[in-house]
Amino acid sequence: MLEIFEYEFMQRAFLAGMIIATLASISGTFVVLRRYSMISETLAHSALVGVAVGLVAGFNPLWMAVIIAILSAWLIEYLRYSFSLYSDAVLAIFLSGSLAIAVIIVSLGGAFNNSLFSYLFGSILAVSDADLITIFIFGIVCLSVLLIFAKEFYFIAYDEEVAKTSGIRVRLLSFLLVTIVAIIIALSIRVVGSLLIGALMVIPTVSALQYRQGFAKTLFISLFFAIFSVASGMTLSFYMSLPSGATIVLSILVIFIISLVANKR
Amino acid sequence: MKFSLPIFDVKNLYFIVDDQEILRNVSFEIFAQDYIAIIGPNGGGKTTLIRILLGLEKETKGEVRIFGKKIKDFKEWHKIGYVPQRASHVDASFPATTQDVVKMGRTSKRKLFSKESQEDKLRVEDAMRKMDVYHLKDKMIGTLSGGQRQRVMCARALASRPEILILDEPNTGVDVSSQQRFYELLRELNKKEKITIVFITHDIGVIADDIARLFTINQKAVICNNPKEALSCEDMSDLYGIDAHLIHNHKHEH
Ligand SMILES: Nc1ncnc2c1ncn2[C@@H]1O[C@H](COP(=O)(O)OP(=O)(O)OP(=O)(O)O)[C@@H](O)[C@H]1O
Ligand SMILES: [Mg+2]
Repeated sequence: MLEIFEYEFMQRAFLAGMIIATLASISGTFVVLRRYSMISETLAHSALVGVAVGLVAGFNPLWMAVIIAILSAWLIEYLRYSFSLYSDAVLAIFLSGSLAIAVIIVSLGGAFNNSLFSYLFGSILAVSDADLITIFIFGIVCLSVLLIFAKEFYFIAYDEEVAKTSGIRVRLLSFLLVTIVAIIIALSIRVVGSLLIGALMVIPTVSALQYRQGFAKTLFISLFFAIFSVASGMTLSFYMSLPSGATIVLSILVIFIISLVANKR
Repeated sequence: MKFSLPIFDVKNLYFIVDDQEILRNVSFEIFAQDYIAIIGPNGGGKTTLIRILLGLEKETKGEVRIFGKKIKDFKEWHKIGYVPQRASHVDASFPATTQDVVKMGRTSKRKLFSKESQEDKLRVEDAMRKMDVYHLKDKMIGTLSGGQRQRVMCARALASRPEILILDEPNTGVDVSSQQRFYELLRELNKKEKITIVFITHDIGVIADDIARLFTINQKAVICNNPKEALSCEDMSDLYGIDAHLIHNHKHEH
């Protein structure tokens, strides 16, 4: 066996990474097609508030991240619909607001340390057995929802109003999608880090779109890119002792540039 | 008793935005197998009217019933096919083949957890053939011409096997001979498949010989059950804001 898999922490990190790559690329496809990419960046910062609370108050940071991310997702959707605010403005407010709150909590609690650094940029050393189980259970639930409602999410992304007039519960499903995205992002911060997870959601799909294929193929290409970049990023992280989030995003960036150049018209 | 219940029953409908009456006291019924053209000047309220019928916009006053039910109680949306104005202006990079788009028409019909059924496949293929886009099924939607895309949008609407098809200016930017063929297709759907057709258009010349009923919308509505006479009726020329004889003459040019 490869040296890299002789370490148990690497096996855990790889498993977690594969699950996250799958979830991030599939949900990312729907988010990108709805022109709602910024939601992932914003929720990643909200998740950080959960991590901060967890670190300071001694709760499980991963669970807290999931809870806070979901709550912010709902609040954002509620504000968007009820006050017809500009979406991107709401997202910008939440993004910097969350970061500010997280930093204050961490500073007051005296938890500015290496552990926080790993939540920002990801770490292959950080995935515990308990984390892996959490990621696995939530992962199965999220994947099921994504697959069950894939056609609905796709239709809504294509034309929200026509979807609505065909009897699709657009608002309910939009809430469901952001909830799923919130969970996936919170799960990802262990491996990819909250400052970098947005890239893993968006760039595989944007790269796949360059190949101008139908729905199924685009989804598949995006999934392949995500898995490939997580695997190569983690390997790089292992051999060069770099934060895994950064090496993963670097790999996906290379894929993006290749896709862009190869499909240039 | 099939004809006793209208598909749409609109009574004294008003749509008012900021004290401005977009639609004023509009009443009409649409029955099964009607073939209706809606005409009127830009900004006359045609799109607004059908958006209200589809529940996308809420009326200020008045009553709208679909298949006898109020809009908020209506559940059988698959019975209605809708092709919006400018539906053919899709994002060129959206990852969808013709087939992907037409399949969307089956989305609300499927049961949760069920995969694509044999019937879904048949309906999608049938809709593509009827709209003459089957040969384009694996082409990316962004690479099709305006007229081809418009037919794909109609195929998507047809795939759910609707009882009524509502089209908002399906032919903007489509050349005259394609338009003619498109209206022939619609007429065929109406006669052979018994699908009720309602469409908004500015090209009365192309369709004047064939439409069954004509709605003219300019804030108020004038409903003409015999368009051939209607085209010269004074009421309508007032509403349309141009000399009715012009419309009449235009018709004879074709
Ligand atoms: N929700 C709304 N808020 C404000 N104004 C509206 C709203 N909906 C419609 N209007 C106004 O109502 C008028 C009618 O618009 P509508 O789109 O129905 O016209 P139309 O007959 O379809 O015109 P066209 O032939 O150009 O498509 C326009 O002046 C439009 O600005
Ligand atoms: Mg209009």
